Amino acid sequence: MTTMSAFGDVIAWLTDPDNWKGPAGIPVRTWEHLVLSGVSLAVVCALALPLALWLGHIGKGGALAVNVTNIGRAVPVFAVLVLLAIGPLGLGVRATIAALILFGIPPVLTNAYVGMREVDRDTVEAARGMGMTGWQMLRRVEFPLALPLILTGIRLAAVQIIATATLGAFVLGGGLGRFINSGFGRQDQAELVGGAVLVAALALLVEGCFELLQRRLDPRQRVARLSERRV
Amino acid sequence: MRSQRVLSLIGILASAAMLATACGGDDNQLDSTDSGNQDKGAVVIGSAGFTEIQLMAEMYKLLLDKAGYTSSIKVVQNREVYEPALEKGDIDVVPDYAATMVEFLNIKANGEGAALKASNDKDETVAALNELGEPLGIKALDAAEAVDQNAFVATTEVAADKGSKLSDWDGESVVLAATEECPDRPFCQPGLEKTYGLTVTEVLPLGFGTAQVKEAVTSGKAQLGLTGTTDATLEDLGLVVVEDDKGLQLADNLVPVVGKDFADDTELAEALNALAGELTTEDLAGLNKKVDGERMKEADVAKEFLESKGLL
Repeated sequence: MTTMSAFGDVIAWLTDPDNWKGPAGIPVRTWEHLVLSGVSLAVVCALALPLALWLGHIGKGGALAVNVTNIGRAVPVFAVLVLLAIGPLGLGVRATIAALILFGIPPVLTNAYVGMREVDRDTVEAARGMGMTGWQMLRRVEFPLALPLILTGIRLAAVQIIATATLGAFVLGGGLGRFINSGFGRQDQAELVGGAVLVAALALLVEGCFELLQRRLDPRQRVARLSERRV
Repeated sequence: MRSQRVLSLIGILASAAMLATACGGDDNQLDSTDSGNQDKGAVVIGSAGFTEIQLMAEMYKLLLDKAGYTSSIKVVQNREVYEPALEKGDIDVVPDYAATMVEFLNIKANGEGAALKASNDKDETVAALNELGEPLGIKALDAAEAVDQNAFVATTEVAADKGSKLSDWDGESVVLAATEECPDRPFCQPGLEKTYGLTVTEVLPLGFGTAQVKEAVTSGKAQLGLTGTTDATLEDLGLVVVEDDKGLQLADNLVPVVGKDFADDTELAEALNALAGELTTEDLAGLNKKVDGERMKEADVAKEFLESKGLL
């Protein structure tokens, strides 16, 4: 198979209307993939962000928390996934989401904690001098200034989770990984590469969305936009 | 039960890692010949490197060294590489699966889509192997009783209920945990349906003999799961092979395939044929388990087995 015809085969697979229909079609698998990734990311944020913001605010215990969650990064996701699937959670979506959560926590936690700690100390002192309470400082000074790094962490986690959610196919978790596994098993290169292209496209799309979101929410850029308007 | 399963999985992963390092090469074999016999020549044994074949290669080496040859093991990943090497005489003996080798040579000689030459009969299959091998200078010796073929497993409870032979399952509807390609493969879903009259309502794509396949069967998500006949983990998991009583699967018995330089060597044939009558599928499953589950070395396991059979 030449490179050109292989490329053509992938295009043909991606544009074949049959592949866009039914319970195993591209829309269904994409939806499964987004649900797996979205639920995992939501749980990651719910667990990691409050902890990181609080630890960053009080300035203690961060190194420990970051290192403990980093253990999650050292263990291969696939091994965790299989252990969970043949263990308490059973084959399916639950084991997949649990493995993705363990995988997603480190970047979110680390970036949020570092973001909080790197807020300019003079600004924090000024806020304290104005008589702000701890909660007010956290909410009105530290959190907005840490937001760009917090979002960077979430963005990293989102992209990694989308790429890794392909492993769900090994434990009946569904998602776009099914095309990759099926293509591999049936030695159908077009399906294999087509599935990989879809995952990559999804990851890039999400990356792009976060990029836009980050620009809108960055307080410094907001200030810059406002002053531009005044000029 | 669960923790045992987790432990055995860890064992398998660890031994896979060890196997990967073992692929680096076995060059320290040359100095271990029996001193009593005169040297009958250097024999290079090819091994595809994974546990089962590596065990066979180690057994061949021990038997050949005892018979007065100087043998060494060379890891050659796949058939596309070692089969031509047999023809040239770069490799002298390879432990292989009879039916798979027959079909490899069949496709090579007659092209993709050629009619099957292998069958479910061991002797016919070896005869076919010799017929196809002869023009190439390749010869098959006696095939062992031990056979590694597709096996469909169920829990002991389900097997007690529906039957211990696949023909007992006629008319049953099942969910099958197997490979992605199972629906396309004649010895998987279509075979179960045509030969045994089962209806496969769904194939859960979990691979061949993986931990997930076994989990799907033990948890009841699937009634049948696909693995190999030499899978040694089944008993611990409460699984049994449902017997292929109509011979759907081809005779993938383990057989020594000899290359050009030793194809007519009767002493070499005699040395290796001694193993054929002794090695059963259960034996081989047990040996695999010692390597994959208990992390013993292939060479030690091979030696222990041959000694227990009085072959060394």
